[in-house]
Amino acid sequence: MKKVIVGNHAVSWAVKLARTEVISAYPITPQTQVVEELSEMCASGALAARFIKVESEHSAMAACVGASAAGARAFTATSSQGLALMHEMLHWAASARHPIVMANVNRALGPGWNIWADQSDSLSQRDTGWIQLYCETNQEVLDSTLMAFRLAELVELPVMIVLDAFYLSHTSEPVDIPDPVLVDRFLPKREPRFRLDVKDPHAFGALVRPDDFLEMRWHLQDAMRRVQPTLERVEDEFAALFGRRYGAVESYRTTDARLILVTSGTITSTAREVVDAAWDRGEAIGLVKVKLFRPFPAAALRDALCGAERVAVLDRNLSPGVGGIFAQELRAALYDMPPEDRPMVYGYVLGLGGRDVTPQTLEDIIDRTDDMGVPDRADLWVGVKA
Amino acid sequence: MPDSRPPRTPHVSVSDRTTEGNRTGSWKYLHPEYHDRVAPCRERCPVGVDIEGYLSLLRAGRIDDACDLLLRENPIPAVTGRVCDHRCEGGCNRAQLDGAVAIHAIERALGDRVLDGPLPPPAERRHAESVAIVGSGPAGLACAYHLVRLGYGVTVFERDERPGGMLRQGIPAYRLPRPVLDREIERIEALGVVFHCNAEVGRAPSWPALVGAFDAVFVGIGAQRGRRLGVPGEALPGVRQGLEFLRAVNEGGHPDLGDDHRVLVVGGGNTAMDCARTALRLGGRGTTVTVVYRRTREEMPAIADEVADAEREGVRFCFLAAPEEIVATHGHLVVACGRMELGQKDASGRRRPIPSGEEPLLLEADTVLLAIGEEVSLDGLPLTPRTEGGIHANAWGATAETTDGRVGVAVFGGGDVTGDERTVAHALAAGKRAAIGIDRQFRARQGVMPPLEPEALRIGEQGAPSMTRWRGDDPIRRVAPLNEVVRPRDINLADFARAPRHRDRHAVSRRRSWSHAPDGFAEVNLGLAAEEALAEAARCFECGVCNECALCMLYCADVAISRDPAGRFAIDLDHCKGCGVCAAECPRGAIMMSLEVPS
Amino acid sequence: MSQVLVTDRVPERELMTAGHLACPGCGGALAMRMVLKELGENTVVVLPACCWSIIAGPFPQSSLKVPLYHTAFETGAAVASGVRAALDLRGDTETTVLVWAGDGGTFDIGLQALSGAAERNENILYCCYDNEAYMNTGIQRSSATPWGAWTSTTPARQPQASPKKDILAIMAAHRIPYAATASVSYPVDLLEKVRRARATRGTRFLHILAPCPPGWKFADERSIDMGRLAVQTRVFPLMEVEDGTRWRFTMEHAGEPVERYLRPQGRFRHMSDEDVRQVQANVDERWAMLERRTTG
Repeated sequence: MKKVIVGNHAVSWAVKLARTEVISAYPITPQTQVVEELSEMCASGALAARFIKVESEHSAMAACVGASAAGARAFTATSSQGLALMHEMLHWAASARHPIVMANVNRALGPGWNIWADQSDSLSQRDTGWIQLYCETNQEVLDSTLMAFRLAELVELPVMIVLDAFYLSHTSEPVDIPDPVLVDRFLPKREPRFRLDVKDPHAFGALVRPDDFLEMRWHLQDAMRRVQPTLERVEDEFAALFGRRYGAVESYRTTDARLILVTSGTITSTAREVVDAAWDRGEAIGLVKVKLFRPFPAAALRDALCGAERVAVLDRNLSPGVGGIFAQELRAALYDMPPEDRPMVYGYVLGLGGRDVTPQTLEDIIDRTDDMGVPDRADLWVGVKA
Repeated sequence: MPDSRPPRTPHVSVSDRTTEGNRTGSWKYLHPEYHDRVAPCRERCPVGVDIEGYLSLLRAGRIDDACDLLLRENPIPAVTGRVCDHRCEGGCNRAQLDGAVAIHAIERALGDRVLDGPLPPPAERRHAESVAIVGSGPAGLACAYHLVRLGYGVTVFERDERPGGMLRQGIPAYRLPRPVLDREIERIEALGVVFHCNAEVGRAPSWPALVGAFDAVFVGIGAQRGRRLGVPGEALPGVRQGLEFLRAVNEGGHPDLGDDHRVLVVGGGNTAMDCARTALRLGGRGTTVTVVYRRTREEMPAIADEVADAEREGVRFCFLAAPEEIVATHGHLVVACGRMELGQKDASGRRRPIPSGEEPLLLEADTVLLAIGEEVSLDGLPLTPRTEGGIHANAWGATAETTDGRVGVAVFGGGDVTGDERTVAHALAAGKRAAIGIDRQFRARQGVMPPLEPEALRIGEQGAPSMTRWRGDDPIRRVAPLNEVVRPRDINLADFARAPRHRDRHAVSRRRSWSHAPDGFAEVNLGLAAEEALAEAARCFECGVCNECALCMLYCADVAISRDPAGRFAIDLDHCKGCGVCAAECPRGAIMMSLEVPS
Repeated sequence: MSQVLVTDRVPERELMTAGHLACPGCGGALAMRMVLKELGENTVVVLPACCWSIIAGPFPQSSLKVPLYHTAFETGAAVASGVRAALDLRGDTETTVLVWAGDGGTFDIGLQALSGAAERNENILYCCYDNEAYMNTGIQRSSATPWGAWTSTTPARQPQASPKKDILAIMAAHRIPYAATASVSYPVDLLEKVRRARATRGTRFLHILAPCPPGWKFADERSIDMGRLAVQTRVFPLMEVEDGTRWRFTMEHAGEPVERYLRPQGRFRHMSDEDVRQVQANVDERWAMLERRTTG
């Protein structure tokens, strides 16, 4: 069934189709429509879930942790300040191996207050143990959210679905809403290995001494190592039922490209246009979209970028003291290539706090990259007003 | 590949066992132990009765067993329940809460129940030896009772017409009804004790005849001679010894109290109170009785209840006065009493009376009764006297004959004839002590070692010897018993509900129209009814004895106290941390903390 | 009967095992034992950071025979809300979801989550076992620390300067169906309150005083005695509040002088006679206010 819906509602639809059992959320712009729609769905009975209207995001994640611990399929959504507030509990969810799914609307962190698109919020949680999937379209948002539940429950790690503020969250796009019957086939009932059960009582999360803590972290990392192959499998299953797949990484017209743009989120769709225009002009410009950020798809990116001379990474985010985060992670991934295969990486910081990224912006970046030799800094800033 | 091999540790912190593997018992340096200790009432009882024991049997509804336990130590509970000064109550830990347990009343109720029951069958004669008992007061009666129960032959020689000694001759019937005394003695006789009355040892039978016929002799002749005042006029008509007066009344006589029935009683002990109240009853309306005592009320040795009863009945008291001269004039007597004041403490621990220098008090009287103490008369008995009078008895009750060259039979003594404190209870204890001493000596002659030394028989540090310990057959199960007394600080009052002490019923006690009729000598203190006595027994804290209230188990934060299949409490020393809460919370001090000894 | 036989009214089953890591004489350990005896097996415990995080035993142990979820400090009531939702969805509305938090995780850092859950009237039983400071981390003050007490962050020269936060009034202000104070030294009263709490739906709050020998500085064996003195001196009255409006005392409080409670504890040793008088005045004032509340 096709509907024209905003990105936030695409999330809501997926959560409903997934037969989520416990939702616990706190409102924050620009996430609010996610939970408003879910409230409606719960109230109308369309969704048989408990909605806990908690008093902060920290409690939202705590409630999800509790619900998940007790065996329920749990979900929350947030953004920016709310995500930052949850930080402690993000670690908790991952270390406790709870398959919680969360939608995060990428929004800048204050001060000053800024409600517009910026990836710094989700990316500064990159060490928490959450899987992170970035989305380009509302369709992808819905599909990724559905796949997130399956992926999470297979690897026992929480998954964050990330969508840009306003560009996706509040923008209407046509979305194919999958058939609930098929979704049920894709996503069976959750069967946790452990849960809080009076018939089989255990203590969870007790003190772990140095003797055993290392091993538990090993397991966590091991689960992360299984994410990519599992995601592939999940996408296979999804594609078989719904005919769509995305891949951890997508290469767009990168064959023989001399310069490849690396993007994530909605900048990707702008980049596609610019790449098409470039080829029309006879310029070999390619695009690699990074969907899976955590675990970082290092090998896939090495494969995708091998052969290009230059790689321009477009980071709508900033890690102060480092520069763009995708660029940083990419450089680390490319370090394992033989030096002769390694492209030159140009890390562009742009679009922070919702600054518009237009086709012109990308054209200028391409020119600037072409004109630059070795970049003299890791972070090349776009659009700074003199 | 070490990096890819999954470790044994699970992927999350999840438990697969309890904490019981942690031997937290290693933390402690003290550990609790259950020990039955001695209740203070038991230590204080001069007779050595297991008071706490019989009270707990009563609570369990085992009334007959309670009586049996009482009778193991005390042959005449119906008597002591009435006349003993019940100093056991002075040590009762319940006093801290809402009043001591009225032990005397419970003992009396049990004693009366025993009297109402059938006579006991004759005791089994297990040994050939036989013992002569001289004197059938409480000391002699007790010695006879215990010996016959130990399996010996026993014969009592009593100078008076009827047995009982001071119980009959000295204590008035309104305190100790004659039927009660008679029945108690009947019970002793039923066990197989032979009584010979009107038999004064030293005259008939003679001492040599006695010692020739028996394997041991117990001398319990008491102190029968009233002490003299030593003042002019003591020999005047109308002045007599109080003991003589009481004896005459108790034998059914009716001594003359003079024309105006003004009676003066000199002295502050029980004899003086008995004289005063007897005189009141004898004389009837118009009789005035005044007790003259040289110290104050606080120093009076008489039982406080007796003094209170005397006062209630109208006896007057004149304190800090001591007779110095008695003169006869115009058909009556005038007693000149020096006024006293209290100086330093003397040997008895009481402040000495010294003349205050005031004008003497002149008291008119028709009869003066002297009750200032009793002395022992050893006439006819070849026993080594003490300088203070009477005879000596050692820890086993053994005394020394006079040396007349002959190796004599074992001679024992007890009660007022020795240096014991002069109460019925002490006399009963002395009789028991001597019975144990005699038993010990007989066994020694046969080469059988005695099980215990006298100190080990003693209840607590200062208590009386226990016959049960001597026999070694405590009917009550004790948990690791210690001969230590539970003090007030060992008791935790927090979990006891308040319940006031039951009060003895009294016959209406006001100045009555006296006559010679027996009603005048009817019993005044009626004790407690049976249900009240049982309810009073339920007030007992059961000091020092675990009664399985299980508070220790409840308050143990370490789940280290449990019940074994026999119902006993066990401490799990592998997990007990030695916090001491169980010992502190035990209401009755049945748990003690003991220092760990490193192994 | 001479002694009030409390053990008749105490369920026999044990849901806590020996070998746990509580200090000797720990009131908090005893409190858990008593509460679980009453609640029984159908209980899930949510345990935010507190002494019990250690008492429960390290991985792979548990000293409880019911499911136990260790969670972050401020999240007790929030995690419990999630657990409750999940259980309800399974069709299990009977299993008790019990939050077992210390005073820190209730009065301070956990207050927001507790308030949120209470406002939503979450169907959970929240027990705060209160040892009146951050004991697990070394006796630092909390807002449950009583006025004048020494702690490691309120040293004797500058002891606790604010009064103990009135958590019962705070919970009553949320109009939850049932809130009460209890003491391990009055087990019958405590168990009765647990029973009542269990039979009530909605947010139920139990504030249990947990004497702490090392933190309050008294001899281990006096633990129960302290809990008793706290009540009898009216420092910690035993009360119930229904629907936030109906207050009542659940026993007689003798009104012993507070000195009997303060002097045996090293944390009050520095107090002058005037300080003690001040404490008495504070206790009397609060008592008068509580009396008005219970009769009005």
